[in-house]
Amino acid sequence: MQRPDWAPDTIDIERPSVARMYDYYLGGSHNFAADRAAAQAMVAAVPEAPLMAQANRAFLRRAVHHLADAGIRQFLDIGSGIPTVGNVHEIAQRIDPRSRIVYVDVDPVAVAHSREILAGNDRTVVVQEDLRRPEKILTHPDVRKLLDLDQPVAVMIVAVLHFVSDDDRPAELLRTLRDALAPGSYLVLSQASDEGRSQDERAEAERVYRRTDNPLWVRNRAELTALFDGFEILDPGVVWVPQWRPDTPESAEDAERAVFMGGVGRLGG
Amino acid sequence: MAESPGAISCPGTFAKAWAKAVSGTSYLPMTQAQLESLLQRLSGQLAGALLAEPFDLRAGHRVGAELVAAHIASAEGLGRTVEVIQLRLVRDLGLVAEDVEDRMARLLAAVATGYARALRDRTLDEQESIRRAAMMARTHAERALRASEARFRHQATHDPLTGLPNRTLFTERLTAALNEPGRGAQRIGVCFLDLDRFKVVNDTLGHQAGDRLLNTVAERLCQSMGEHLVARLGGDEFVILVERTGGTDDMVGVAEAALAAVRTPALVDGHELQVTASIGIVERQVAGADPSDLMRAADSTLHWAKSAGGARWALYDAERNRRELARYALSAAIPAALERGEFYLDYQPLTSLHDGRLIGVEALVRWRHPELGVLRPDSFIGLAEETGLIVQLGGWVLAEACREAEAWSAGGAEAPFVSVNLAVRQVHRPGLVQEVRALLRQTGLPPQRLQLEITESTMMSTAKEPVRALRVLADLGVRIAIDDFGTGYSNLAYLRDLPVTELKVAGEFVAGLRSPSVGRTDERILASLVSLAHALDLTVTAEGVETAGQAERLRAIGCDAAQGWHFGRPAPADRILARMR
Repeated sequence: MQRPDWAPDTIDIERPSVARMYDYYLGGSHNFAADRAAAQAMVAAVPEAPLMAQANRAFLRRAVHHLADAGIRQFLDIGSGIPTVGNVHEIAQRIDPRSRIVYVDVDPVAVAHSREILAGNDRTVVVQEDLRRPEKILTHPDVRKLLDLDQPVAVMIVAVLHFVSDDDRPAELLRTLRDALAPGSYLVLSQASDEGRSQDERAEAERVYRRTDNPLWVRNRAELTALFDGFEILDPGVVWVPQWRPDTPESAEDAERAVFMGGVGRLGG
Repeated sequence: MAESPGAISCPGTFAKAWAKAVSGTSYLPMTQAQLESLLQRLSGQLAGALLAEPFDLRAGHRVGAELVAAHIASAEGLGRTVEVIQLRLVRDLGLVAEDVEDRMARLLAAVATGYARALRDRTLDEQESIRRAAMMARTHAERALRASEARFRHQATHDPLTGLPNRTLFTERLTAALNEPGRGAQRIGVCFLDLDRFKVVNDTLGHQAGDRLLNTVAERLCQSMGEHLVARLGGDEFVILVERTGGTDDMVGVAEAALAAVRTPALVDGHELQVTASIGIVERQVAGADPSDLMRAADSTLHWAKSAGGARWALYDAERNRRELARYALSAAIPAALERGEFYLDYQPLTSLHDGRLIGVEALVRWRHPELGVLRPDSFIGLAEETGLIVQLGGWVLAEACREAEAWSAGGAEAPFVSVNLAVRQVHRPGLVQEVRALLRQTGLPPQRLQLEITESTMMSTAKEPVRALRVLADLGVRIAIDDFGTGYSNLAYLRDLPVTELKVAGEFVAGLRSPSVGRTDERILASLVSLAHALDLTVTAEGVETAGQAERLRAIGCDAAQGWHFGRPAPADRILARMR
């Protein structure tokens, strides 16, 4: 057993985890006091935070649904977090039980939890890795065992890219992933944006996330669109996540309150 | 329009209103349509419960629990549910009952109770599962940390090539064995093993083949040594630790087994290699033993086995080690002794066999050691040659001999030449010619009065430079003598190329002349040497002449000069010169 060099050598539940804070926003109880305190501070700064998480989760659901309907049977969910409700495999395997899903997260507790939840589901696997090391993800034996990279794969990078700073070169990370994918693969991307937000709100949110291991790095629509380089962006483009193929027209109202922007791209060829 | 209660049909007004009320209160993993359809079903159950006879609270509990199971599971979700049921259920569904207000209150209480129970259970379950996950993650991280520490420790204590324990681990084990008398072992032993001529394998077959051979040797040693620790110290050095021995016999047994394991031919890259090894064995009492001391002893002992020709073991011998240490200490003291002027020269006469005249003297170095007294050259020259100090010491002898000899006068007669031994290293050193020239100039000694004695082995080298240097010196007029002629390879070829003036015949041949019956062969050899030398225009000096009889027979053979106790023992210059007058 090899400990990844970036992984902490002890598990400190006194330190808020972004995965468990997200669970709290979604109404889950898979969290500890420190997570709740940080999440509550975030809600005080940005009252829409729970809404953001829900809207993002709903975007993930609709995107997976769409891709499964389009015939995708392999999913690589990077930054999968705490598997609360509406996980990729629940959606995809309801449409086709043979769908295979790899969950990747850097948070060891999230990984341990996912493994427990997914025990017995042999078409899913959980890998502890970091989005910032895509080559490690792509060459991980568990990933290679479950996914056939010669066939299309949907790569989900949902609500996690705002924890990757520009210093970590997100465009290069995405290029590395893209280059490993077969034509017909998809990229599902969403992240926090600061468009239409006040400096104060942004500063306050950043202050909250500095308490975690994952400081916040917001991006605007243009920056996010550029990250789809090499992919053909599906309609309606990179939008506030509630606007992405909503179930009902009403659910897309006040979409900018969701803070998250996202889109889905298809690898041509 | 009233809807029929209990039927699962298209979502009615009530279900839609309910869905609208709860959406956004928590994340719902379903579409709005799925939500409405779910709530439509629950609406039917609520309506049924409201009208059922007798009234059954459990229906309300079930609805509350189902809401939580469907993830409509937040405080707001419950509040809005209560509100929408209270305000709209009876009206939207057109329900008619006698005590509907009373029933509604009890139904809502049942829904809220079922909901709160389910939410509490769910919260506790989730808390438990995340704690368990944290614990598992912690266990996993700690195990990984221990594993990485263990791996690091393994890397730090093992040789990457062979996987054997390395010097660090071996030293730890040896130290532990010596420091833990509780183990009960009285005696301990090590075999220090080194492959013979391993470099040849590397040089001829390449390092990869060499590495494979080392791997094979490592495997075999491990197999044949059983429980004893086999470590690789580096290169082709291995060591076997025997933590409990009954005596040297046990260790010899171990060493024999190790030698046999190495000796078995090994197939490397299609070559059948037969290598041998040398082993130094140290076996001693645990009490009072020191690990570094023990390893030093093993190292020296290994060298004894090597210098005895290899493919063998040698057993540590404290007396021999003490002698070697003393020799080593002596050689290390030479530079300081030179500075302090502890060296001086004695001279031994070289006498003409034609007329008994003193024609020359051989300079012999002496060391007036402050603790050991006067030392003869055989106790320190060999060492000085090994360590290279001979260059410094020999240079001093040469300079001192030239300086003293210049002052000699023979009272009218020709003054004797001084003969000085040159070591191989001195002859092969660039700058010999300049050194001798400068000495002659500084002292004023005529070149003809200096003789340089070199051994046959000096000329065995194929280097051209020494020959050229000697020729230049001979051209200056310096005499060149071959010392100990007849004991080396006696290659006559160099006599043709070299500007040699004289052969000094080794004392072994002269010794045979002491008894007339035994010495016939030696006498014939000597006679042949003399006639050969004369044919080449060389003079012959016999060494080790101890009796008048020997001197007489040498003269009869035609030998030119002689040296030995019969003609005078080594003595200070003034005593030798006094005899001339």
